Amino acid sequence: MTTPVRALPRGAEEGVDAAPLGALAYASEDGSLAVYNDYEVGRSVIGPPPDFAGLRTVAETWRRSSKAGVSRPGGPVDPIDGYGVFTFPYGPISMGVPESGKFEVRTYGERILGLSPVAGFKSRRILSSVVGSTIPDAALRIERLAGNFSAAHTAAFLAAAESAEGRPVAREELRIRALGQELQRIYNHVHVLARIAEAAAQNVGAAQSHALAEDLLRLQGSVFGHRWLFGAFLPGGPRRATDREAREKLAARLVPLARTFSDLWELFLGSRTFVDRIQSTCVVPRTVALQWGAVGPTLRACGVDWDDRLRVPTVPYNDLFLDLPNESDGDALARLLVRAHEVRASFLLLEQLLDRWPSGTDGDEPPAANVGPERGLGRVESPSGDLVYDVYVKDGRVAGIGMRSASQANFPVFARGLRDGVFTDFHFAWESFGIVFAEVDA
Amino acid sequence: MSNDVLAILLVLAVATFFLGAALSIVRRSLGYLAALVGSVLLLSTAVVVLLGGPVSSPNWTGPLGEPESLSMDALSAFFALAASIVWIATSVYSIFYDDRRSPMLAISYCLTVGSIALLVNASSEVLFLIGWETMTLASYGMILQARGAAERVSSAAFVFLAFGEASTLFVILAVAGLRVGTGSFLFGAHLGPGSLATIVFVAALIGFGLKMGIAPFHMSEWLPIAHSSAPSNASAVLSSTLTLAGAYGLFRMVSLLNSPPLWWGAVMLGIGAVSALLGALFAAVSEHTKGLPAYSTIENNGLILVALGVALLSRSDGLEELFVFALFAALYQALAHAVAKTGLFLSAGYVEHTSHTFDLNAVDGRVKGTSRAQLLGTVAATLSLAAGPPLAGFVSEWMVLEALFQSYRFSQSWVQFVGLLAGAAVALAAGLILVAMVKFVGFSVLWRPRGGPPGNGAPGLGTVVGGVGATVVAIGVLAPWILQFLAPTASAFAGYSVAAPVGGLLSVPQGWSILSGSPFGILSPPMIPLALAIGSLVGLGYYALGRHRPRRRAAQWMAGSAPGLDGETYTSFGYSTGIRIMMGSVLGTREVRSDVGTVSVAGVDSVEPYSVDLEVFDSFKLFYAALVRLGNGISDVLKVWIMPGRLGRYLAYVLVVVLAVVIYIAAAY
Amino acid sequence: MPSWIGQALRTGIRTTLYPQRPASEVEVPATGRPPVPTTPDPPSADVISSCPSGAISSSGVDQGKCIRCARCLPGGFAFRGPVEAAMGSRSELLQDAPLSAVGRVLGALPPLGGFARSLHVFLVDAGSCNSCNLEVMALSNPLYDSQRLGIFFTNSPRHADALLVVGVPTDEMVPSLRRAYEALPDPKVVIAVGACPISGGAFAGTPGLATSLDDLLPVDIYVPGCPPTPVQILDGILRAVGRGRPREVP
Repeated sequence: MTTPVRALPRGAEEGVDAAPLGALAYASEDGSLAVYNDYEVGRSVIGPPPDFAGLRTVAETWRRSSKAGVSRPGGPVDPIDGYGVFTFPYGPISMGVPESGKFEVRTYGERILGLSPVAGFKSRRILSSVVGSTIPDAALRIERLAGNFSAAHTAAFLAAAESAEGRPVAREELRIRALGQELQRIYNHVHVLARIAEAAAQNVGAAQSHALAEDLLRLQGSVFGHRWLFGAFLPGGPRRATDREAREKLAARLVPLARTFSDLWELFLGSRTFVDRIQSTCVVPRTVALQWGAVGPTLRACGVDWDDRLRVPTVPYNDLFLDLPNESDGDALARLLVRAHEVRASFLLLEQLLDRWPSGTDGDEPPAANVGPERGLGRVESPSGDLVYDVYVKDGRVAGIGMRSASQANFPVFARGLRDGVFTDFHFAWESFGIVFAEVDA
Repeated sequence: MSNDVLAILLVLAVATFFLGAALSIVRRSLGYLAALVGSVLLLSTAVVVLLGGPVSSPNWTGPLGEPESLSMDALSAFFALAASIVWIATSVYSIFYDDRRSPMLAISYCLTVGSIALLVNASSEVLFLIGWETMTLASYGMILQARGAAERVSSAAFVFLAFGEASTLFVILAVAGLRVGTGSFLFGAHLGPGSLATIVFVAALIGFGLKMGIAPFHMSEWLPIAHSSAPSNASAVLSSTLTLAGAYGLFRMVSLLNSPPLWWGAVMLGIGAVSALLGALFAAVSEHTKGLPAYSTIENNGLILVALGVALLSRSDGLEELFVFALFAALYQALAHAVAKTGLFLSAGYVEHTSHTFDLNAVDGRVKGTSRAQLLGTVAATLSLAAGPPLAGFVSEWMVLEALFQSYRFSQSWVQFVGLLAGAAVALAAGLILVAMVKFVGFSVLWRPRGGPPGNGAPGLGTVVGGVGATVVAIGVLAPWILQFLAPTASAFAGYSVAAPVGGLLSVPQGWSILSGSPFGILSPPMIPLALAIGSLVGLGYYALGRHRPRRRAAQWMAGSAPGLDGETYTSFGYSTGIRIMMGSVLGTREVRSDVGTVSVAGVDSVEPYSVDLEVFDSFKLFYAALVRLGNGISDVLKVWIMPGRLGRYLAYVLVVVLAVVIYIAAAY
Repeated sequence: MPSWIGQALRTGIRTTLYPQRPASEVEVPATGRPPVPTTPDPPSADVISSCPSGAISSSGVDQGKCIRCARCLPGGFAFRGPVEAAMGSRSELLQDAPLSAVGRVLGALPPLGGFARSLHVFLVDAGSCNSCNLEVMALSNPLYDSQRLGIFFTNSPRHADALLVVGVPTDEMVPSLRRAYEALPDPKVVIAVGACPISGGAFAGTPGLATSLDDLLPVDIYVPGCPPTPVQILDGILRAVGRGRPREVP
């Protein structure tokens, strides 16, 4: 069910909302599979592509961005001209954005009239190179597709592979995957907060947030043996501390971290300069979010309550309580509010998970229904949004793979949201989306 | 040199210009050559007069029965000096660059220059007016020679003429006032304080202000130069020396008014500050290679007025030292501006010549073949206008600001307040003009990604612009001695002997520093390059000894992108957009979008091609436009009422007038 | 009333004492230290083939290839190498039976360029997964605070002395990488951070990716790991200026 929207964000057009409330979630390259999220009913529909001609542009934009060579993940370039209007190249090595990616800004000076991101500089050809590898070997590369989202990518890939093979998975494994994903979610959201605080020159707040993020990384390192959870979900991976004693220690360590976050968040919200800086910055109209299939905090900040953990329920999330944030302004502040809500929700999820962890094994979970012969779909809610893996498995090896990452979906939304902003808004917008080039240049 | 020889030189100098006008009909370069000769003669005469004493030619009787002669005293000598330096440069430039088919440009050039020479050396106000009017008409002729759409050229020239005639009108009013008050047309006759003096002052301020492009009349300066694309030698003469003539007239007339009340200086200060700020602001957001320097002229003239205002205020308040200092500041500002602006316009002319456009965005580094001398000269001239040490503009701007800083010395607090506000405005103007000048020189000649390395350059231009640049440096570095050289001019204005504000302090030799007050501020322009040279010795020695690493050339860093250029570099427009947005309320900045539409193509939003223009507007243009509409409206109404073209109505007028005359005569007798 | 000052006072000073003190347990997770053999016998064929990046050979472990997947642990290896794993050349990363080096303290590398008190570093992402980027950026957080050691990160290569490269160089990034190297003024240092630039890491053998940063630029310091922890990256940078902590083999 949809949350009643309090107010239409700036730019929303009357009458467009009469169109069905939903968005494309994934479309495979050969057109054999499409997944569509129905926001009104709150479930996803798998089947042949619906007759929505415009979705082709969206799917094309996503698909083009995961191949080698330079691509434009932001969608078609706005044809803007005028006296003194020129293209300002920002990147690929620009220190404001921590990765390598280029932004072509159409401007006449201070204003961003149009933005066209250019990706492909970091294209490591992962999706093409895992074809033919065994599942564990392929997972090694999938983990390292986007290091800060590694838990989500691995979990989604493994879920797709297991569904394709029809293999049951131990429930213990699924709980461990959820544990890792929630911990990484908290880290990512705190990191986003720290980066926005840096951009707003809130140096004390930024330092405190960075320290909290580092503490979370160390926590992940001590629980899973690797700060970024590489190998955490794979057989024969590094040491995992998930026995009862370790779980109790983990639960105890989470309490002060949650309290620190609450304190920091309260201080941030009380800082008028900080809030001013991100309020009404990079407003994403709901129509744009829907048309381009936005996902994650970006979507939830536009008043659509879609979260894979609720709408595509899997073990263990189907047993846990999760409430979604209620924001609809679509600006950077709303996205940050959504993230803060999710941090608290994740701490709660972790508490529930650890509390209800059965001692001893509790059997296997039967495989999820596959979407075709030897073909499986894996969907998780990564920290930046809905992540879809579409994997063909033959004889224990990957025979084909497709992926749609959250960044691929949100890049066009970012490019459009920044229209009519000013140069100084750029970093707030970029950080508030939490998208990365690494997910686009797979 | 005996007085007679000097007098002959003076007459010869002025006459040569008019001779040049005649020679131009035969051959253009002969006319310019004559102008060159005349300028050199005038320059030498001025130098001799400043060193020796005033000179005057024999009298003749003028049209109104007053004795007239060509006489040069120290005040005239200064303005003649400044003007002739400019004319030497522009005449040489014109020999190479006048490629019009008709000799009209050369003729009107010589006439303009000659009439300015005439009015600067006029002994009586009538001769001055003759020169003034001739100057207006001759420069109208020069502007008409511009290239471009005939209608735009003639309308811009007409605006110039209209403002010029308005100026003459007010100057005539001032002259009439002086005549009534002193009973003489000669420039030696002083007028005492009173309402007549006020009328003369206001009329002179408006009349000469119109010529100098003071706000709110700045359109007169900017429009003809920018809109009509006047030829470069014309622009240089108009901007530098026409305004110099206006300044001369103002100085001369004000010097004739004794005991100025306090509010005169305050008004001058206020108007000057506003002009300086507006001129600098519009220069910073201008994209026209001629319009930008034209606005800068308005700013500089505003500064001259500011300095003169402080001088008048100090005189009224009895602050002798500040009066003298501010007076020198005004003179120096006029000199520095005249020379530097010439360099700028000549360079802009060359830019237009090679790139065939007046738009800085279109020029964008496409200028080819500039020689090193030309480059250095342009940079020196630009930097001087931006008040970069140790150039002429730096010294003059420092002096103006120092004079304003001493506003606390005034006895009345409202005067102090006016000085404070004016100081703030002038400081802001200085900042804005820096943006304008860097933009100008950067996007026109200094950056040549598409133009290639400096070449041998245009014939003669390197010498001329390089010479102007060298002069600007010299005027800056040798300022203390030049100030002493100009002491007679200040004395002529003040009416008593004054000494230049130079001295020596803090182990700087006597006569090497400029003192702005005692005690207040000190500046030693010659010490700046000296200190720089000594300071660089260590570095240079290290370099010469070969201890440095071998030089390596690396490509420009563009965040990892290839340093390619088409459409991917900052435009001149983008450079000053920050100012357009920040000062948006003053400039009236607004974004105009055309052809915009968000089209939803099958569920995905896409944007139709559209163009965006960020526009600024000049509020005074609107004011004048409104005035013109009002005038046209009234004239239309009157046309219909009074002159309907019907014979009966006209006969009725004749009857009415005859009756009125009869009644009047009957009543009178 | 909550305030940032109160929060700061409550937090106290948490900056690590590295390199004055050795790295603590929390700073280096289980997979942080390089793998070393636990038995003196040469590794078996099974173990050699189990390593996905081919780091294990009969002579030992090529630390530049190890991606910390832990598959070799059952075959007689343990993550017990010294925390300070940065080396000055590719060959030094090939350890042969490092147990023979027990007790020998390996000192700091000779200083390069004389930047002992202040080194400005420019980070270039040549094609990484972002974990190395984030670990390098973690050096600026209060827990590591590289600035107290005179290490500063610059926004332009023109201001930098050291080029820090993370990620496996893709064909598309090679020109930009070269331009960045050219833009650094001499004298300069190149530091390769992570298994990816040293040997391709988990992506070794993929067409379109460089085999090693060595083939493109002259590399001075190699910091192995996937990703190396912040203290290990700090160690690598300090080695470039001769201030690294002496390497102690446990």
